[in-house]
Amino acid sequence: MSIDYLSLMVVLPIMASIFLLVLTSRLSEGARRKFDSSIRMASLGITLVMFAVATLMFFGEIGNVDWTGIAFNNFEFKESYVWIEPLGIEWSVGVDGLSFPMVWLTTLLLPITIIATWNEKAGATYFPLILMMGGALIGVFVALDMFMFYVFWELTLIPMFFLILKWGGKDRKYAAQKFFIYTFTASVVMLLGLFTMYFLMDTQTFSMVDMVTEANGANGNGVWLGLEVQKALFIMLMLGFLVKLPAAPFHTWLPDAHVQAPTGGSMLLAGVMLKMGAYGMFRLPISLFPHALEEFRFIIMLIGLISLVWGAIVCLGQTNLKKMVAYSSVSHMGVILLGIASMQPLGWAAALFMMFAHGIISPMLFAVCGAFKHHYHSMEIGAMRGMAKHSPWLATSMMFGWMASLGLPLLAGFVAELMLMVAYWHAYGWWILLPGLVLALTAAYYLWSMQRTIFEGGDETQPPESLHGEPVPDIANSEKLAMLLLAGFTILFGIMPWIFLDMMDIWTQNAMKFLGFGA
Amino acid sequence: MTANTFDMDLIQTLGPELTVFVGLLLIMIVPNLGNGKFRIPGTQIQLPWFLGGTRYKAVSSPRLPGLLAVLTMLLALIQVVWYLLDSSSVSEEVTSENGYQILKVNLFSRLFEGIFFAALLLAALASLDRLPTGSMKSDDIDVLFNNRRQADFYILMLTSALGMSVVALAQDLFVLFIGLELASFSTYVLVAFHKETRAGSEGGAKYFIVGSVASAVGLYGLSMLYLWAGSLQFSVLAATWAADGATSLSMMALGFVLVGFAFKISAAPFHFAAPDAYSGANSPVAGVLATASKAMGMLGLMRLLLLITIPDAAEDGSAVWIGLLGVMAAVTMTWGNIAALGSENPKRMLAYSSVAHAGYMLAALTAIGAWNWGLVENAGDAKDVVVAALLFHMVVLVFFKLGAFLVLGLLEMEGGASRLSSLSGLGKREPLLAVAMFLFMISLAGVPPMAGFLSKLLVIMGIVEVATGSGSLDSLMDAHWVWWLALLMVLNSAISMFYYLRVGVVMYFHEPEEGRQGPLASGVSIRLAIAICAIGTVAFGLVGGELIELCRDAAQSLG
Repeated sequence: MSIDYLSLMVVLPIMASIFLLVLTSRLSEGARRKFDSSIRMASLGITLVMFAVATLMFFGEIGNVDWTGIAFNNFEFKESYVWIEPLGIEWSVGVDGLSFPMVWLTTLLLPITIIATWNEKAGATYFPLILMMGGALIGVFVALDMFMFYVFWELTLIPMFFLILKWGGKDRKYAAQKFFIYTFTASVVMLLGLFTMYFLMDTQTFSMVDMVTEANGANGNGVWLGLEVQKALFIMLMLGFLVKLPAAPFHTWLPDAHVQAPTGGSMLLAGVMLKMGAYGMFRLPISLFPHALEEFRFIIMLIGLISLVWGAIVCLGQTNLKKMVAYSSVSHMGVILLGIASMQPLGWAAALFMMFAHGIISPMLFAVCGAFKHHYHSMEIGAMRGMAKHSPWLATSMMFGWMASLGLPLLAGFVAELMLMVAYWHAYGWWILLPGLVLALTAAYYLWSMQRTIFEGGDETQPPESLHGEPVPDIANSEKLAMLLLAGFTILFGIMPWIFLDMMDIWTQNAMKFLGFGA
Repeated sequence: MTANTFDMDLIQTLGPELTVFVGLLLIMIVPNLGNGKFRIPGTQIQLPWFLGGTRYKAVSSPRLPGLLAVLTMLLALIQVVWYLLDSSSVSEEVTSENGYQILKVNLFSRLFEGIFFAALLLAALASLDRLPTGSMKSDDIDVLFNNRRQADFYILMLTSALGMSVVALAQDLFVLFIGLELASFSTYVLVAFHKETRAGSEGGAKYFIVGSVASAVGLYGLSMLYLWAGSLQFSVLAATWAADGATSLSMMALGFVLVGFAFKISAAPFHFAAPDAYSGANSPVAGVLATASKAMGMLGLMRLLLLITIPDAAEDGSAVWIGLLGVMAAVTMTWGNIAALGSENPKRMLAYSSVAHAGYMLAALTAIGAWNWGLVENAGDAKDVVVAALLFHMVVLVFFKLGAFLVLGLLEMEGGASRLSSLSGLGKREPLLAVAMFLFMISLAGVPPMAGFLSKLLVIMGIVEVATGSGSLDSLMDAHWVWWLALLMVLNSAISMFYYLRVGVVMYFHEPEEGRQGPLASGVSIRLAIAICAIGTVAFGLVGGELIELCRDAAQSLG
């Protein structure tokens, strides 16, 4: 009997999380604190098991899958169970070259997040929420049923809402509600689009696989559902994903959410949750409405460009470290849109790899911000000088993160950016100057802020005033471990990008062929 | 199968209703049992009469009427559920001797009875703790909490149950109206029964005045319908409508009757009394108003609009009322949500959210009417799908709407839940209760995987199905205009997110108010009721398939 690993990876963490939360819910705050460490260990254990399973899947030890041999719209580890029979809704899971890297990334980030925020207060509640978040995120990536997809899509909001609300900064209430409402509004519009599509289809199914089959059967000789309808549905679906991504002008929830969110929340938010948007774009609107995509490619390109430029410009004006990182995320998500709009196999693969690379690099940046906040009680870039002297670990991690983020060769981000630039050049020619300049500009700013914070000051280091003269600590061992892991993976995927790039590339090529973009 | 009035068959057919009736008699008699004697006039002979005098100790417990009521509702509910789940259940009619259909027992009406009884059962269960432990300590108020007051309260609960089940079963508009009034009058008094605050009697009075005006208008409509068709039998009215079509008389009559029901479901612009009534009533009663009473109004609307005035499947065209109803739906849902945004009183907030939900339901009804009946294959099936969505919505609404009110009810026991801030710190004070409340809130907002999401999803699906029609459109502009109702509905759910989330924020992240630390009063039965509601909210969201099937079967039997 084969085990349905994917469903287990979704259900197990959520169940464990509910169990742990209920277990300690009747206890007083003080009594609950005694359970912090055991619950943390349990959560870490569960996430490590998930990571092990995902890794074994990758190596073919489980399932013996040839990851580069998956045809478009085919899925591995596919399992379906009837869920809500009268509506034809199924619990249906599976992974392909598009979703598996994201699943693996999620399972990687979960234990790292737990390690990085090892000493988070009220751990008995915090770690289960991280677990629930993980289960819901994997649910989004493995769902092959529209209903199930939507359920997990929304379910991710709930633990994140509480993470921001309970462990967040000063304006957390505003940020948490803004975050919830922005993404919820967008996704209900998406839901309506999905329903409209459901009733316009011939087969009327919730199964994404059947949907794509029907769409492409019809798109081959004509336009499925008619161009006008396709365009309208494309807009409705894309709206949900663009807000989640987020792309300008819908990005304003992100800086608020990030600045207020606790470190662990930020790491998962930037690392995986934003990728849900990009993943959803590839999975639904792009796979279903290639004709509409062709119509809108220029607009998507513009949106991507605006996000990129706007994110970078706002980034320049920031003195708050975390806000700066948040805006750099907006910039990077713009890059993903550029990749999509290039309509080149290379560009799509670049977008996919950007999702993956940013998913490793941005958690590192946020871990640095978290450590900054944790130890120096300040996020102001100008608050301290000469960090390299008194906190070498933090300084090194920060520098490494910044370098990775601005695309230093041999690090993961560089691969994606390079591929993208090539594809973009092919598609839009001299437009490339714009993103190119912007990326150079951000690099300059990053370097400047680093220089000020880390090195300047010579022998006279200036500890942040917020410490009130106490000795300056370096980061804790658990944080060091998390940084090392993230840095290690950044280097690994910078030197050997093909580990996941191969399957992304195959997926892209198959998809392009299948969608009729002649590749 | 048919049963005649005053026949033995009747007892078998109307088991749940008779159970309620017997329970009603018991609550009237049992608490009054005492050593009262009856002196035969003109003699010294005193016969033991057992009513009045000094009450026996066993029957004078203030809890007794409540327990009786709960037991009655439970027995009635079990019979209803038995009927619903038993595949061998048959439709049965009660006719008078001259052949008039009076009542009809089928899946559809029984499902509604299930909604009514479940809501009233949960409310009665919750009230068991509430009333005797009332928050006021003053001596002259104490008298209000003795078993006489208890008996009155539960008698009214049972009469409203009886009235509602008559509405569910009625096959004749006049019978339906009698049931409606019985239930309405009981609820008017129930609202005013909340004597701990002045708002109770004020809310009761407002609700009564507006309600009786609406009833009067409805009754006027009924008389015009009678004038038009010569009968108030549903079957006759439907036949006359099919033959006559819409005349000015019948349209006007229809409009008037609509007003009566629109008040019951608190649709705009007839919703003005609702927030006052809900915030004035004690919470379990407010919960009943928002669930059972609303379902009753919806039932009336369904019977009226779908049984009588829907065009034949063979006919080409939509129902005459879709424009009116569509506007009403749009205004109701938007108004409800926007007003709820500004309410600081959680009960008023829930009242407005209930107005918004009425709007969603009206939108679904509009969609049924908007079907172009001549053009669509199997239009009847599609109608069933939407009706089933509505039924599902009303069933699960009992769990999360009533549940939310019950949580407020528990708060009321420590002295008022009229400000949002009275919920503050609930997450610390009562973690499980706060979780339950949060589940209710996100279910109301329609977040998966709660039951509220599934119900909203079914309703939107129904509307979209109508709008997209035969399945090929040139552009979305060609879709039927009800599609925009669906869009308005999803945008409205997004708006509603603000105020539902605010409850969560207040519960978890505000410090408890002065003098409101520590756990709440330990009402076992109200907590049990809340637990049932919470479990139902989650369970029907995750595995709602069976219930949807049941609702579809029930929808088919609407006829």
